[in-house]
Amino acid sequence: MVDPELTMQVLESRERRRNDRRDFFRKAATAAIAAPLMLTMGGKPLNAQTPVTDPDILNFALNLEYLEAQFYLYAVSGTGLPANLLTGTGTQGPVNANGARAVNFTDPVVREYAREIAADEQAHVVFLRQALGASAVSQPTIDIGTDPNGAFSTAARAAGLITAGQSFDPYSTDENFLLGAFIFEDVGVTAYKGAAPLITNKTFLEAAAGLLAVEAYHASLVRTVLYRKGMLTPALLQATEAISNARDSLDGATDLDQGVAPTGVGATLASNIAPLDGNGLAYSRNTGQVLNIVYLTSMARTGGGFFPNGVNGTIRTSQAN
Amino acid sequence: MTSPDQINEVLDACDERRNARRAFLRTSGAATLLASTATLAGCFGGDDDNGDGVIVAPPPPTPSPPPPTGVSDADILNFALNLEYLEAQFYAFAAFGTGLPANQLTGTGTQGGVSGGRQVNFTDPLVAQYAREIATDERQHVAFLRTALGTSAVAQPAIDIGSTPTSAFSAAARAAGLIGAGQAFDPYATDENFLLGAFIFEDVGVTAYKGAAPLITSKTFLEAAAGILAAEAYHAGLVRTVLYGKGLQTPSLRANTESISNARDSLDGPTDVDQGVAMIGAASNIVPTDANGLAYSRSTGDVLNIVYLTAAAAGQGGFFPAGVNGAIRMSSAG
Repeated sequence: MVDPELTMQVLESRERRRNDRRDFFRKAATAAIAAPLMLTMGGKPLNAQTPVTDPDILNFALNLEYLEAQFYLYAVSGTGLPANLLTGTGTQGPVNANGARAVNFTDPVVREYAREIAADEQAHVVFLRQALGASAVSQPTIDIGTDPNGAFSTAARAAGLITAGQSFDPYSTDENFLLGAFIFEDVGVTAYKGAAPLITNKTFLEAAAGLLAVEAYHASLVRTVLYRKGMLTPALLQATEAISNARDSLDGATDLDQGVAPTGVGATLASNIAPLDGNGLAYSRNTGQVLNIVYLTSMARTGGGFFPNGVNGTIRTSQAN
Repeated sequence: MTSPDQINEVLDACDERRNARRAFLRTSGAATLLASTATLAGCFGGDDDNGDGVIVAPPPPTPSPPPPTGVSDADILNFALNLEYLEAQFYAFAAFGTGLPANQLTGTGTQGGVSGGRQVNFTDPLVAQYAREIATDERQHVAFLRTALGTSAVAQPAIDIGSTPTSAFSAAARAAGLIGAGQAFDPYATDENFLLGAFIFEDVGVTAYKGAAPLITSKTFLEAAAGILAAEAYHAGLVRTVLYGKGLQTPSLRANTESISNARDSLDGPTDVDQGVAMIGAASNIVPTDANGLAYSRSTGDVLNIVYLTAAAAGQGGFFPAGVNGAIRMSSAG
């Protein structure tokens, strides 16, 4: 039979982990809603770039989708997006794909997952480009190569997965591919969540919610597979924590990120597939914080990391942290 | 080496399955944004009324039925709270053998009890760990929404999560062809049945929050709802990934997700807004998406069709034998 105490222990262990973000109701303790809904909560950092338009936000998202689509397409097929999906406003750039190639997957299920995600990300690029029409930004220069000084290696080095001078190759094994995917996926979720309140057009808001959901499904897929493989290879669990901490070191003081390592012990042991705050909500990042991560810098910059020349569009500066 | 043709085959295979919802881009091929926000807003507003020669099409990417008129943010959050009560109770019983504490059940409307529910004797320790995680998250969603709504929060309505032949789970499983007449579906019996029971709910939560997002007026609550939407998608992705993985050894699991998906689709109207996890071509199908790579939406009425287990306009049934509490409580007709 179940001990209610056990339940509470699990809940408490999760809450200890997540209590860094409980300020929603601390700040708004009196924000209970009387019959007409009344909202008093504020203080969510929106962004310095104001005023932003809906096309600005969708173009910001399009840059991120270019990056994700290229990574997954190379991992699945050894080739990237077709040329007719790269054009647009701003300076079009190539893919620095030195070393990027089709992964020789050993687990056929991981290959099936990779194919699915690649198709979804390409569909996102197509969708956003169609929605934006002539105002769609072109693909900026993207680095998904394996050079020791490339973005993947820099990110892995920041997480302590490799040391100085070494390279991280997300195309070499199933596990490295999954960790490469892990670097991106949760960031996409937080980016769409942070941007949702900035979108004024209801149709595009619903579309963005659809993109948000899909990125969360992808992130969950990648995290679930890493968690399962981590039972045999515990280093994978620790790698997700290290990558999460590295992201957190870039995007400011607040902890907006979690790996998949379990909490609790024995009968209270619980996975951590969904990175959520103490209210069970996913985190938000503003556009500047998202750029901190993809530029791999904690400073205000207009390029770096996976986008050596910066993203295209009006939203292009990372946050000074 | 993989050829570009191979990736195109994968994409084509996905498209074949997903092309039911391609209407958006086909009908609004000219509905591109020009440089201004004003144009953007206008793109989806109607046809060529302004005479500029640009035919702009109204259908949104995943069109939702019109919302109930005059719904407030509190109405929508209370609607969500009913669904969270259901999910939280199911997972709490499955993971821990006990439901929500009594102080999490009070509120406006008629408070009801929970029938059924017990702890699963998990054989795969990973599935037990997943269940505990989701149970905790869903409990937090209940607490979050109740705090946000304050004194206007609805009470938990009567909830059926039992496993008798006449229970909601059995009715749902029977509609999906998983069991025959008079048989019972017990989501607490095995790891696999638990996962299928979870599958019945999870994608519905995603579509419900996505469909409700544009109806929320407060930016703060919109962002909170987006946070719950993401959490539900993480959960759904987890459950679908595990079912897909176990389906390698037990192919009937993948087939069962398709059957449940089809049963849901038979309840919520003619548009296909649902997919199982079975392979499409050479790819998995963990993410149920339309041809644009977007998750689906359901209106509140369509969500109630599924949890009431009826294709008709009704005020109760299925998992909510006395209906949900709050202003939004009628399922869609047809």
